[in-house]
Amino acid sequence: MAEQDIALMSHLMRRAGFGASRDEIEAKAAQGYDSVVQELLNPETQEAVDEDLLYRYNPSYYEAAAIENNVQQWVWRMINSPRQLQEKVALFWHMIFCAGHSKIDSGQEMGLMVDIFRQDGMGKFDNLLLALSTNPGMMYYLDNTESHKTAINENYGRELLELFSLGVGMDEGFNYSEDDVKACARAFTGWNIAPPYPPFPHGRSPWEFRFDPADHDTEEKTFLGETGNWNGNDIIEIACKQPATARFLARHLYNYFVADEPQIPAWRLTPPRDQAAIEAMEKAYWESDHSIKAMLEVLFTSDFFKDEAIRYAKVKNPTEMVVSLLRMTGEFKGYKPGLFDYSQEPKYMGMDLMNPPTVEGWHTGREWIDSGTLVERINFASDILGNTELEGVQSLVNRLMGLGDKLTPEQFVDGCLDLTGPVVLFPDTMGQLISHASQEGELSHGTDAEKSDFTRRSGEMFQMIAATAEFQFE
Amino acid sequence: MSTHLFGLTSRTFKHSHAVGRAEFAGTGFRNPTDMAISPDGTVYICNRSYENRPDGVHVTVMTLDEEYITEFGSYGEADGEFMWPTSVALDSKGYLYLADEWLNRITKFTSDGEFVSKWGTAGSGDGELSGPAGLAIDSDDNIFIVDAGNSRVQKFSLDGKYISQFGSKGSDDGQFNMPWGISLDGEGHVYIADWRNDRIQKFTADGQWEASIGSTGSGVGQLNRPNGVSVDADGDIYVADWMNNRVQVFAPDGRYITEFHGEAVLSKWGRDKLASNPDMIRQRSLAFANNPGYEQKLCHPCAVKIDSEGKIIIIDHTRNRLQIYIKEDEPALV
Repeated sequence: MAEQDIALMSHLMRRAGFGASRDEIEAKAAQGYDSVVQELLNPETQEAVDEDLLYRYNPSYYEAAAIENNVQQWVWRMINSPRQLQEKVALFWHMIFCAGHSKIDSGQEMGLMVDIFRQDGMGKFDNLLLALSTNPGMMYYLDNTESHKTAINENYGRELLELFSLGVGMDEGFNYSEDDVKACARAFTGWNIAPPYPPFPHGRSPWEFRFDPADHDTEEKTFLGETGNWNGNDIIEIACKQPATARFLARHLYNYFVADEPQIPAWRLTPPRDQAAIEAMEKAYWESDHSIKAMLEVLFTSDFFKDEAIRYAKVKNPTEMVVSLLRMTGEFKGYKPGLFDYSQEPKYMGMDLMNPPTVEGWHTGREWIDSGTLVERINFASDILGNTELEGVQSLVNRLMGLGDKLTPEQFVDGCLDLTGPVVLFPDTMGQLISHASQEGELSHGTDAEKSDFTRRSGEMFQMIAATAEFQFE
Repeated sequence: MSTHLFGLTSRTFKHSHAVGRAEFAGTGFRNPTDMAISPDGTVYICNRSYENRPDGVHVTVMTLDEEYITEFGSYGEADGEFMWPTSVALDSKGYLYLADEWLNRITKFTSDGEFVSKWGTAGSGDGELSGPAGLAIDSDDNIFIVDAGNSRVQKFSLDGKYISQFGSKGSDDGQFNMPWGISLDGEGHVYIADWRNDRIQKFTADGQWEASIGSTGSGVGQLNRPNGVSVDADGDIYVADWMNNRVQVFAPDGRYITEFHGEAVLSKWGRDKLASNPDMIRQRSLAFANNPGYEQKLCHPCAVKIDSEGKIIIIDHTRNRLQIYIKEDEPALV
């Protein structure tokens, strides 16, 4: 199989999913790029995660109230779901439509919100926004429960425009006015939550959206130049037909799936990194009646996505770092104790899943890395990749041995890099790894002692790769 | 005026009361999976809890009148500890046996919760275990273990000596797919909750297949991942129909009789908990108005047992409580 096919499939699976084991990458490369893209885009054609087994071994996951159980369950799905893009898209929306457990204080609601992203995340954007706007957790998080026709709270209306659809501005102009924010908030009055059961003594009930017509502002409103007796549904429809929304979505998709863009607040004044790519996705948005899937199809089949220049040009977010390592090494297939610790790792690296710092979400790209989080990332990666008892790591070692009876240090390093990525290193880093490998000379695996030594050195080399600056990128 | 009685009408059932509340220790349960009831009415609740709350993993000892007695066991691998408890059973001398489906072992405790012994070897050979789920002890003090991962039922002496086995993986008569619960009737028949095959299978004491009840679905007599089964003195069969959030009752010949969806009113411990939380009382009363009945219903019932008085006791897993029904020959006024 051509090396470039493996490299391209590995790139696709890192971006459209959470990476894969080498065996899986090779199988998918053999299947063909376009076919795999179609599978990713159509998760219903892929086997679903076996939910009743999930609940069989983790009975507390069903209607789980504890936030930790909801986070664990999500991380488990990211690791094990054959529908990789579905989970990756759920994380994408979680990083945009930010609501957090610190305020919501219901793990179940956070889980249900993520489920919306999972189920509706690749559909028509209008439908997703409507699901979001009727999601009780979000309504509470952004104070729409405190917005009444007699006294509006602008928070949800403002964030819907600023962070969830149009964005503040583009091409140096502004996308909406303060009057639009007020009109938006007025249209969403009466969108509220029915009283749920409390946690004691038998656990919360799921929150339910409830529209109260008596609390809804039925007066005429002017929103983005259109005047009428708008309800929230109308606001969403109007917002979704704005050019700014197509732009905003295209830039977000590019930022998440292709290459790091500047932080979002800079987008009004900073043009896209790849204007043609953004325009291609905008075109797909209009031609498909606002389909996210159509935008993603353009993205994954485009030359700008396949371009070698953008491979390893994007900093892995902490969830990608953790889950991709677990997938690569086969460490958490099936069910066993230990998921809680793994599910907390992204938090230690600065990404507390289901609990973003603010509604603006996490700062991404190089801002994931600081001296503290870098140590966490390297320690975790080297612990996992250096554990030669793990099934996936053993498989990598066996593959290395399959390269020949004797390996020069250069062949050995090349092999390790190929199997853990393929990872492309700067010449200086490469030189350091080869220098280290050369200290013990050539590698053989003819005898048990040599096999043992080969395995040990492989684990060490995987750890060194995990500690490189280059490994922080995907 | 005439009455119109359809179906099996020779017994009626009524809800008695609910027991317990959600707690990680003390007077409540956390994701209970099974229970055992001694002839004197002492109840042993097997709490599974979850990984980041290992303090919830233990056995609660109490009565059905909500008299808290003690708790024992904790999360871990040492003697007397357990990780993924699935089931408990009492022998004729009052010793309690607990199955751990992760550690593949059976632990024996005194009725006071003192560790006595442990046994079990992971594997698929005779007498080896893979994910032990249900436990049942017969009148001769042999212990049946539902060896879920090996798709079979194994019979041992109480000190772990292998005696016999039956079953294999599949969906034909006598085969299993991830079986879980087990019950013995007065004649020694063995009933297995064949979890992934959505059915109950009945065997003779030596493992000869006799009958199956149920098929996949949510309709009358259908099952969705049944994980608990019990048989009362009349031979009626009670099935914890997990994913359908109900317990179904079948006559000895397999005919559907009725089903329980839960009718819980506040337990004593539940009331105590609310009494010190006025905001919870306020929220609960508003919730009642909005969604009456929600809290009363069974949510993922995980096991059903019959006590020495014939009471039907359901482990209402997700609601962290027991719901208790009574069977009456005379028409029960509900």
